[in-house]
Amino acid sequence: MTILPLLLYLVAGVAYGFFFVRRSQLIGRLATASLAAAALIHTFVVGMRTVEVGQLPFVGTAAIISAFVWLLALAYLYTEVTTDERAMGVFIVPLLVVLQTISTLSDGVIEPAPVLESRWFAVHVVSLLFAYAAFALACVVGITYVLLFRELKSKQLGFFAARLPSLHVIDAMNGRAVGVGWLFLTAGLAVGATWLFQLQPDAADPRVRAMSFFDPKIFVVSLSWFVYSFELYARRVIGWSGKRAAWLSALGFSIVLLNLVPVGYFLTDSHNF
Amino acid sequence: MDLLLLGVSHHTAPVDLRERVDFSKRGVVEALRELATYPSATEAVVLTTCNRAEVYVACENIDITRGDLGRFMSLFHGVPEPELEPHLYSHSSAEAVRHLCRVTTGLDSLVVGEPQIFGQVKEAYAIATGEQSTGTVLNKLFPWSFAIAKHVRTATNLGEGAVSVSYAAISLAKKIFGNLKNLEVLVVGAGEMAELTATHLQSHQVQRIAVTSRTLARTAALARKVGGTTIEWTAIENELLNADVVVTATGSLNPLITAAAIKRVMRARLNRPLFIIDLGLPRDVDPSAGQLEQVFLYNIDDLQAIISENLARRQEQTTRAEGLISDAVLEFLVWLRSRGTLPTIVALRRRFETVRRSELERLEPKLNGLTPDARARVDEVTRLLVQKLLLTPTEQLKTAADPTTAAQYTEAITQIFQLDETPSTDGDNITQSDDVASAAPAADKTPVTS
Repeated sequence: MTILPLLLYLVAGVAYGFFFVRRSQLIGRLATASLAAAALIHTFVVGMRTVEVGQLPFVGTAAIISAFVWLLALAYLYTEVTTDERAMGVFIVPLLVVLQTISTLSDGVIEPAPVLESRWFAVHVVSLLFAYAAFALACVVGITYVLLFRELKSKQLGFFAARLPSLHVIDAMNGRAVGVGWLFLTAGLAVGATWLFQLQPDAADPRVRAMSFFDPKIFVVSLSWFVYSFELYARRVIGWSGKRAAWLSALGFSIVLLNLVPVGYFLTDSHNF
Repeated sequence: MDLLLLGVSHHTAPVDLRERVDFSKRGVVEALRELATYPSATEAVVLTTCNRAEVYVACENIDITRGDLGRFMSLFHGVPEPELEPHLYSHSSAEAVRHLCRVTTGLDSLVVGEPQIFGQVKEAYAIATGEQSTGTVLNKLFPWSFAIAKHVRTATNLGEGAVSVSYAAISLAKKIFGNLKNLEVLVVGAGEMAELTATHLQSHQVQRIAVTSRTLARTAALARKVGGTTIEWTAIENELLNADVVVTATGSLNPLITAAAIKRVMRARLNRPLFIIDLGLPRDVDPSAGQLEQVFLYNIDDLQAIISENLARRQEQTTRAEGLISDAVLEFLVWLRSRGTLPTIVALRRRFETVRRSELERLEPKLNGLTPDARARVDEVTRLLVQKLLLTPTEQLKTAADPTTAAQYTEAITQIFQLDETPSTDGDNITQSDDVASAAPAADKTPVTS
């Protein structure tokens, strides 16, 4: 059952690739249908795991990555349906395929630590994962902005100009994705901080007692919060939209990725369950 | 029945002659009515655009009709035949079908792949059907050519990419801003180029057009024409604060808008994108302004380069489009030829039906003893037998490879079955329209692709 979403993501990825090159509406609809089917099956998988574990199964790297893929697929589908623009799929869906492959290969159900058996955990993790999915979307959208921007500035209209939506639409998508991501990131951090203050200093788990702002994972995620806050401020107040916003989105997501993989794996001690 | 077309176009006639043979001057309807007085042309469609004047007819005799159409063109337009004849072209049968397909898809247009011609051919056909000047052949040919044109344009992307300066400017604006409806436009200059671009922008319902030039009267005239407002010549920099698109086309010898001015404005407008279309020669906008981050500055050469690329891309597609049309033409010809053998098919069926009925009549005394059910069965069995016997010869006649073969088949069958002597009173349930329906390709059917 867990392999099924991966296969459907793969079919969707190939279809989005064909759609981008050939621009056949039929293939485009097939791509969207495949992705929607993949997201639906993935939802069932998450639901089954929740029943199996007794709470949201977002513990362990494989589960976290899989949840990230699931939320990113949903976020992208929402964007595609609301903007009626599926050219971005070719940039997003391959990312889903790669991450879901990693998740599927290292699949396994991990029993959550006792300290995580709290409703705060679900809110904290889901908020942050949704924020990361939105930031991934913003990053990819930002990259497409830069590709189209370069063609327009160099006056060499070609492959991307023929396939991507307007700069204005891409910039608006970027702005919306960062805005939504920032809200979830802020909510996730606030819930995490509140939960931590409630647990400390009497927590039985030594990792919780050792947790502070200077834990690498917490520090780096806070750094990403500052980057995205600055992007939102700069977009509205000093006119850093378009290309600058796109680069800031890429910078922000690089920090998020840094936090997810090297920091999450190797550097953090306290924030590691 | 055959097809013939006669016409003049930008390929064969200079513009002054094309103007003189323009059907729209006296009206296409009048032309169709006058054509109806020529008995050689049994069906007709008249097509007129700024680059061509063509008459498509269905006829029995190509040579006689060709002469009639030449005379018609000359008399209708009042251009002497010796003067007109060298510029006329005519195509018959397959070449006429191919020509119509090339015209409808835009392959024969001055700007290859332009889409307007499709609508013009459709209009010409609509007028002809309104005048009831079309019949079985042209009613099949024209809708079929529309289906071919749609298929070819979809399969080849023949019509993609702007191929005029103003369209290129609009396409770029759409690529930058998406929807043009919320845009504010500043037009600097009131000459022909400025007017053309402003008119195009207005047709996309931009929010506001502000016009300025050194000549007040011309500024006011252009503003009226595009539903815009006039602004002072000295207020250009102020207007740049709000404008999304700036069109400049003046005869100024020095740049009117400096990079420094644009830099100042960009800061004040919080780096909102600014699309500048500089159509002036010499240029009206300092070229270094294009290096500012959110300024998209295109001059006339940049736009021409885009147009050239698009034209080259369209040209690349023409070979494929011609191939698709060739396949489709063959399909239509099979149908057209089947119409040539139609009288023979009808006569053959009548002959067999006569024999069948006369045999049943001869056996009437013997069949009287049968029940009504049994008699009906005998009737059905004999009818099916005749149908089966005629199936192969009918198909052979319909699909004869060329007119010579079709004529040989027709002659042989006529002789063998003595069809010339066949009375036609019997078998009246077999009509020509039955055969037309069974032989015709569907009008909305897409052609066989290569």
